[in-house]
Amino acid sequence: MKLLRVVAAGVLLVLAAVGQADRVQLRFTVWDGDVSLKVIRGVLQQFEKENPDIEVKLEPYPDYNLYHQKMITQYAANAAPDVSMMDPGHFQALAKRGALLPLNQFFDKDPSFHLDAYYKPIVDSMSYQGKLYVLPRDIAPEGIIYYNKEMFREAGIPYPDGTWTWDFKERPELKEKDFLWVMHKLTKFGPDGRVKTFGYLPAWSGIFADMCMYTTGLTFANSDEHPTKLNYDTPGMHKVYNFANDLIRNKHWMPSQSDVSTLFQASTTQMFIRKEAAMYQNGIWEVPNIRHDMPLGSNGWFDWDIALAPAYKDGTRGSDSGGSGYGIFSSTKYPEQAWRLTKYMGGPIAMRAMAAAGIAQPAIRAVALTHAWIPGPDTPKEQQWPHNRIATDQAVPYVHYGPTADYWQSVNNVVSARIGSIWDGSLPVDEALHLGNVEGQQRLDELLKDEHLPDFNWGAGLGFALLLIALILGAIYWPERGVRYTLKQRKENWAAYRFISPWVIGLIVFTVGPMILSLLMSGLQWDMITAAQFRGAGNFREAFTEDPTFWPSIRVTMVYTLLSTPLGILVAFVLALLLNQKVRGVTLFRTAYYIPSIASAVATALIARKVFAPDDGLFNKVLYSPWFQKFGWWLSGVVGTPKDHINWFNNEKTAMPALIMLGLWGVGGAMVILLAGLQGIPQFYYEAATVDGASPWQRMKAITLPLVTPSLFFTLVTGFIGSFQIFTQVYVITGGSGGGPNNSLLVYMINLYDAAFQQDRMGYAAALAWVLFFIILMFTLLQLKMSKWVYYEAEAK
Amino acid sequence: MSTIEKPVEPGPGPSVPTDAQTAEHLEIRRSVKRAERVAAASRVLFWIVLLFGAVIFLTPLYVMVTMSLKTANENATSDIWAWPQHVTWQNFVEVLTNPNANFFYFFRNTVVIAFLSTFGALLSSALVAYPFARLRFRGRDRLFIVLLSTMMLPGIVTQIPTFVLYKYLHWIDTFYPLIIPAYFGGGAFNIFLLRQFFMGIPRELDEAAIIDGASHATIFWRIIMPNSGAALATVGIFALVYNWKDFLGPLLYLNSPDKQTLELGLRTYQSLNDNKWELLMAGSVVVMIPLLIIFFVGQRYFVKGIVMSGIK
Repeated sequence: MKLLRVVAAGVLLVLAAVGQADRVQLRFTVWDGDVSLKVIRGVLQQFEKENPDIEVKLEPYPDYNLYHQKMITQYAANAAPDVSMMDPGHFQALAKRGALLPLNQFFDKDPSFHLDAYYKPIVDSMSYQGKLYVLPRDIAPEGIIYYNKEMFREAGIPYPDGTWTWDFKERPELKEKDFLWVMHKLTKFGPDGRVKTFGYLPAWSGIFADMCMYTTGLTFANSDEHPTKLNYDTPGMHKVYNFANDLIRNKHWMPSQSDVSTLFQASTTQMFIRKEAAMYQNGIWEVPNIRHDMPLGSNGWFDWDIALAPAYKDGTRGSDSGGSGYGIFSSTKYPEQAWRLTKYMGGPIAMRAMAAAGIAQPAIRAVALTHAWIPGPDTPKEQQWPHNRIATDQAVPYVHYGPTADYWQSVNNVVSARIGSIWDGSLPVDEALHLGNVEGQQRLDELLKDEHLPDFNWGAGLGFALLLIALILGAIYWPERGVRYTLKQRKENWAAYRFISPWVIGLIVFTVGPMILSLLMSGLQWDMITAAQFRGAGNFREAFTEDPTFWPSIRVTMVYTLLSTPLGILVAFVLALLLNQKVRGVTLFRTAYYIPSIASAVATALIARKVFAPDDGLFNKVLYSPWFQKFGWWLSGVVGTPKDHINWFNNEKTAMPALIMLGLWGVGGAMVILLAGLQGIPQFYYEAATVDGASPWQRMKAITLPLVTPSLFFTLVTGFIGSFQIFTQVYVITGGSGGGPNNSLLVYMINLYDAAFQQDRMGYAAALAWVLFFIILMFTLLQLKMSKWVYYEAEAK
Repeated sequence: MSTIEKPVEPGPGPSVPTDAQTAEHLEIRRSVKRAERVAAASRVLFWIVLLFGAVIFLTPLYVMVTMSLKTANENATSDIWAWPQHVTWQNFVEVLTNPNANFFYFFRNTVVIAFLSTFGALLSSALVAYPFARLRFRGRDRLFIVLLSTMMLPGIVTQIPTFVLYKYLHWIDTFYPLIIPAYFGGGAFNIFLLRQFFMGIPRELDEAAIIDGASHATIFWRIIMPNSGAALATVGIFALVYNWKDFLGPLLYLNSPDKQTLELGLRTYQSLNDNKWELLMAGSVVVMIPLLIIFFVGQRYFVKGIVMSGIK
């Protein structure tokens, strides 16, 4: 009996092990954060229970921009996950290169699946050439107005029911049915003439103009899937942008670009919660944030709801929209299992869970109409807001996704730089639209030009690489070929090679290959996914003669480098001298000055925003205080806004100086190096000098300065190398959208990054990178040539 | 050094002071007093300026701490500079115990990666810097330019090739890509930095050792390393801070949630349309504390400059 039980247990164990071995593991990637992840994990558990043959490995990469970068990198390296979260703006780059499986092949054979159950606009936006590549999980129409009920009550305006309309001029006779009249009525000015409450707040500057554009029947370009012609320079567009500009700059019913830009982690939702606006247009995804930041019964809580955004006076509706879903990489080994996972995560069960958590509007209409999404009598009180959630369903038929082509980003960068000059007032509306259209169209034409390039011959490439390596080795050896060494010197030679051997091995194994490959890439038209084509000098020609952002980016980068590096080193040096004293508490000071270099980047960005804000920013408070105000107003005139406080990061003349000032916050690193240099000066030199009666100034001149030059030289050389490649700071400041006001912050790396990971033009990106490489190399060689001022105590001559 | 070696002019010998001399003496004493007062005043001014600057540089820490002690509601509605009305520790509790973002794993992974790679970078960059600074060998100056040039190519274009390389080595989703390369050179930045410092160590020290028949290995370990405390501490701090806060490396090479680092794992509180500043800041404060301690302690090595003893 006992034996039988042991045998049975053994058999069961073996069976379990076999079952385990049959389980297929699927890698599943999402960009979701904490809130959604909790829901997704729960749903995945349920999925695994229902599909015992599948084990799902959830990989969250919670950074939206880098997520796509990682997907491309993984796919190019043949290490892609099986199922991945995607959205309309990014999937096409992968789909058109065959990196994603068309889902039709699965659902055509799957009787339990009904594509018509999904909202049609989101299905269309995730299709390419008639095939669906991403199964939608949610849709997020932006034609939604959040409103503060208390402000409507106080103003005696009935709550909006979505039947309102807008016109290019206010229509007082329509009262609350006229959007502009409501906007006007709800705008409150303080005694100083400044706006206290805006009638209307757009989540970002474009959302209002886009709504006006779509509701008057206009579009950005002639097609979303394959745009070939821009529509910015049309009379309708001019009318829309002039209209929006008038509401912002003359009527002040809605805030300016600087208040709603994505600069420095700005949050327009917080403006709404702080009662700085009565109406707020944004997608439904803000609901969890509002609940989180303003929980029921919290301090300052107010009653709020949502309404359908207004139609144009003729009844036409339209808005932007968000949405996301899941796609299957074509490299998956388990397409059938991957489809089951995709269908589940983009299906009713997962949608209901996401909806119940208030996170996302289900992409299946029938689910979106249940009480999981629309609050019902059983919905917990917390989740009753917003009551009028049916508006999200009503808005769906009128959504637009805009161009989804992968090359659109590059065109958009050119155009939006000009549009940006409308919002910051540096260009008249009509001129900005005209220039934006001309320049954008030119870029579009270049990108669409079919060059008929030959396939790249990798054998020839390898030959070229070997030749190049031989040339470099020769260049290293040749100048000293005639030198004969003594036995002692030969020994020294070998000792030296032994010491540097780890670096040489690392160079050969990790560095040389990728560098040479990128050099080859600079002559190619290549996305690293499909076959490479040989373009010769075409990439360089494009950069030098066609790309309208190339030369401006060189200029911006040069200005930044030449100003910020010397200034930063000067400040760091003065600090290091001051903090080199042997005084109590000096270690605390050193630590304090190093803090911005190790602090959270988000914290520093939030502070920078506060410091450089135009009206209540610390910097302007000092600049326009009674002591300096003459200078402040003079400066206002110089930068072209004589009647306003300087709007540092939204003015093309001041954005760069502000960036450089902000950079000074990071001098801690250079300070530490110089401090170490000062500390490394042998103490006995000072002792000897003091005994000899040298004054402090003499000691400074004769000992400190010469002996710190090696560290100074180091900070200069590496400072220049680093600042030529400045990227992250600008990327944070501009919120990842282009080059700041009128491209005044368009540093070189922004262009390079866009080419590489927004457009998948690795060949062009490599060409840009090697141009930068040679600029930096020349600059560094020049510094080495001119380094006679550096004093080395023990130079090995 | 010529200015130092100049002999100081001999002062007047002791003699009977005349009236004129006494007056002159008084004048000197008065001017000395004045100079002292000016010095004291300038010292006060110097501390005020330094203190003012320190306040500006401390703001990120202040904001991180206050935001981590406020509720989400207070962060959304109060001024960024305001001290929390009711200090709450709930954010720290939540970050440290969130089962969906295991702080303990993140911390452990970060410690392993950061310390192992910092050790490698320190050791290997010192080894490589030594001959570049103090030895003569064929091709040295041109190899040095090659070394510098590895810093000049933007990493974006070598990212995919490097990823492919690591994939062939089966290093994806392991800590190796974040640790092993540090042992092969330790980075051009660190090598260059140490080279500059090594070149500042007086040559007499190793010449004496060579006469005594010491090998280059002995010189390196017995003379160069002990005399480079400040430089090694600098490189150590930089390498540690870099690896501790690196985001792109772990994001690219690590896939599994339980292998993520702090900087990567905490990003879950700052994703698209889902920002929880109070939790992010609480996590960031915890992440920063070890760095602060290490920086503070590391400074002790700063004051250990060149010591002449121990060469005999």
